[in-house]
Amino acid sequence: MNLQEYILSGIIESYVLGLASAEDSVEFERMCDAHQEVRAARNAFELQLEQSLLQQKLEPPRALKSRIFSEIGMEKDEQPPRIISGKPVLIPRKGFARYVAAASLVLLFGSVLLNLYLLNQYKKSIAQYKELVATQTQIAGANQMLQTKLEDYENALRLMKNPLMEIVKMPGAPASPAPSSMATVYWNTESKEVYLLVNRLPMPVPDKQYQLWAIVDGHPVDAGIFDMNKDLSFVKLKTIPKAEAFAITLEKKGGSTTPTMEAMYVIGKVTG
Amino acid sequence: MASTETYSEQELINALKDRDDQAFSYLYDHYSGSLYSIILQIVKSPEMAADILQEVFINIWRKIESYDPLKGRLFTWMLNISRNASIDMLRSKGYMNSLKNQEITDNVYGIDLVTQTNIDGIGLTKFLGKLKPEHRILIELAYLKGYTHEEIAQIEDIPLGTVKTRIRNALLQLKVYLK
Repeated sequence: MNLQEYILSGIIESYVLGLASAEDSVEFERMCDAHQEVRAARNAFELQLEQSLLQQKLEPPRALKSRIFSEIGMEKDEQPPRIISGKPVLIPRKGFARYVAAASLVLLFGSVLLNLYLLNQYKKSIAQYKELVATQTQIAGANQMLQTKLEDYENALRLMKNPLMEIVKMPGAPASPAPSSMATVYWNTESKEVYLLVNRLPMPVPDKQYQLWAIVDGHPVDAGIFDMNKDLSFVKLKTIPKAEAFAITLEKKGGSTTPTMEAMYVIGKVTG
Repeated sequence: MASTETYSEQELINALKDRDDQAFSYLYDHYSGSLYSIILQIVKSPEMAADILQEVFINIWRKIESYDPLKGRLFTWMLNISRNASIDMLRSKGYMNSLKNQEITDNVYGIDLVTQTNIDGIGLTKFLGKLKPEHRILIELAYLKGYTHEEIAQIEDIPLGTVKTRIRNALLQLKVYLK
């Protein structure tokens, strides 16, 4: 390709309009450096393009020019007004500078409004944030409660599934103050631990407590007192090595050394 | 503050490099309309075009030191800054979203969020309209949408070499119409 062909190949137009590949651009710049003719042809096309596009104007929004000028105006190092004998001296601004000053006041006012708006939004956000934190704490608390409950149930289930458990059903005693009462002892035949499940017992009056007894060789042995005031499933009571039966009586708070026989609510024999 | 002075290209460049407000004002008055027109043909939305034009002039002001007269005329430099900024906008997430919004609001309310201006027959499109369709589509894809030659080869399903040749031929044809 000779120089004339190169000039007429369309590379000039591609390059000027930014459509040439990087490789072609590098080569074109080298050709421009080397050949005055290429440079001249490029310049001619650029001039033609410029003159042609200058005929094809669309007016941008009127406010745009001042927007641009106030932005670049801020970048310029302007001398602060000098202070003489404590009195501010107004340095007359002319043309563009005056325009910038006016625009900056408008911007300042706009900025103050925007700040007030943002402050308001900020306060609102803080309130919403606090509300969210409170709700979150509440939910975490409720979740904690459920966790504890679930753990209780899981423990209860594990006890019930344990094949070593001797289950002693205690229905209402013959002279029970509440004949429909019922409780169950889960007695681990290996570790001898005693767990009590209350099926149904009336709530005791405040100064009284239920007490479990193990009947050993015909004698009642204290197996522990328990409360009814919480949502109980299984209560672990005293370890009992040996017993033929279990019974529950209502005693004074803190329990008694011997059972009050008239207040025996339930009794059940160990079958195994 | 319309500028009354006129400058030769070299005087204008020197004044701009000296941070001369008057020269910059002249530059804006003289070239903003053409650059706005080109930007608008690329992004189609007057609001976005105005934002881009602002960015372009601020960049011209800031980067005038990096302009090298040996590589081309000042207008060519500014034109390329404008086109690059517009194509960056086309590729941006915000632009895609505004198109989506526009589709939704168009359908629901019949209101244009991004007002599209009919620019057929104005600016570059006036010249593009005179090209043969296969030339026109390539210039639109390459110049107005900013696709690379490789991308165009894929979109149009033609060999890469053909893309380059056709773009060059299209530009040579376009040059005839630019008077």
